[in-house]
Amino acid sequence: MVEKGLTTTETINAWVEAYSEEIGPKRGAQVVARSWIDPTFKDRLLADAAKAIEEFGFEGDATGHLKAVENTAELHNLVVCTLCSCYPFSILGIAPNWYKTAAYRSRAVRDPRGVLTEFGVSLNTDVQIHVWDSTAELRYLVLPQRPAGTESLCEEELAKLVTRNSMIGTDRNLSTQTAGES
Amino acid sequence: MDGVHDLGGKQGHGPIDVHEPVEPFHADWEARAWAVSKGIGGGAPDINIDWWRHVRETTIPVDYLTRPYLDSWLEADMVTLVDSNICTLEELVTGKSTSPAAGEAVSISVANAILANRASATKFDRPINAEPKFLVGNEIIAQQNASTGHTRLPGYVRGRHGKIHAHHGAHLFPDAVARGIEKAEHLYTVAFAARDLWPEANDSKDMIFLDLWESYLDPK
Repeated sequence: MVEKGLTTTETINAWVEAYSEEIGPKRGAQVVARSWIDPTFKDRLLADAAKAIEEFGFEGDATGHLKAVENTAELHNLVVCTLCSCYPFSILGIAPNWYKTAAYRSRAVRDPRGVLTEFGVSLNTDVQIHVWDSTAELRYLVLPQRPAGTESLCEEELAKLVTRNSMIGTDRNLSTQTAGES
Repeated sequence: MDGVHDLGGKQGHGPIDVHEPVEPFHADWEARAWAVSKGIGGGAPDINIDWWRHVRETTIPVDYLTRPYLDSWLEADMVTLVDSNICTLEELVTGKSTSPAAGEAVSISVANAILANRASATKFDRPINAEPKFLVGNEIIAQQNASTGHTRLPGYVRGRHGKIHAHHGAHLFPDAVARGIEKAEHLYTVAFAARDLWPEANDSKDMIFLDLWESYLDPK
């Protein structure tokens, strides 16, 4: 590709670096944390997430038609792309491998509770699941619920509690300690 | 296209590896494959996202299900380069160019890559004169038959009843755009009840939402 004049080694290294650190799930976590502490921002996010993330400069690859879907005590949201692997790159970074596997793509729409159980999420039967299959250019961001007992935390501290998986929907009850895995 | 890629609801693909490392890339080659794809602009310059997706759908089925994901992703990029006469298969296999570079690529910094990403937010909605055929709340039946080429109507909802949940105006229509025809159609989010899709979901109140174009849908 370099010999063909299609790209350069420096450019390739720059893209590795950009997606290793800056363009990743910490962006989505900041957006979620802001929505928890600023109700007017949350309103803007739920009305037009593509526009709301421009307030952070996070718009970019695959977020032109971003939609935020909110978890509540009665509702859990789960995002999948059954036809390929559509993912809001600019706000969540590189998709985890499991998101792109046949196992997840085939089962998320048919056996979402089984999928969630494998991720360690047990839902009461009275909690309804909404599965969002990304079949067009809309991309989905799950807004997890703010954990109880975090009233004293600031936006930055709250963002550390938000896991990548919680923004896809394969995590639900966030810990009040710093985010652990994924 | 009724291909192996249309995975929704298929059974037998096993459990999910939920203990994957949190790092974005799990091997150097993954990082480089992603970055090469970003660096060259995601394939040949004369293609569009729908054509690219269709190229990936035509991957040999056993490869589609077993090749590492980013390897398969980069393969789709390479196919478009060969198809658009930018590279030959031999050049890709040997890693040596046999003709002079068509131009000189510009090197970018990490900061510029981040800016380039920011500038790449793309809108797919387009103006349309036609009135939408459906209103929010209308009941629909998804078409039983889909395009033999690229389509975004998954097999698992074909012939099934659903309800219009939202209307998004008109968006570029992938079945046409993948063939090089720029055409837009009204796009809707359609809600399907799990119990209307899966025999084992009789008692379920879960819902599955898909974003579907108008010509995929008939009134109930």
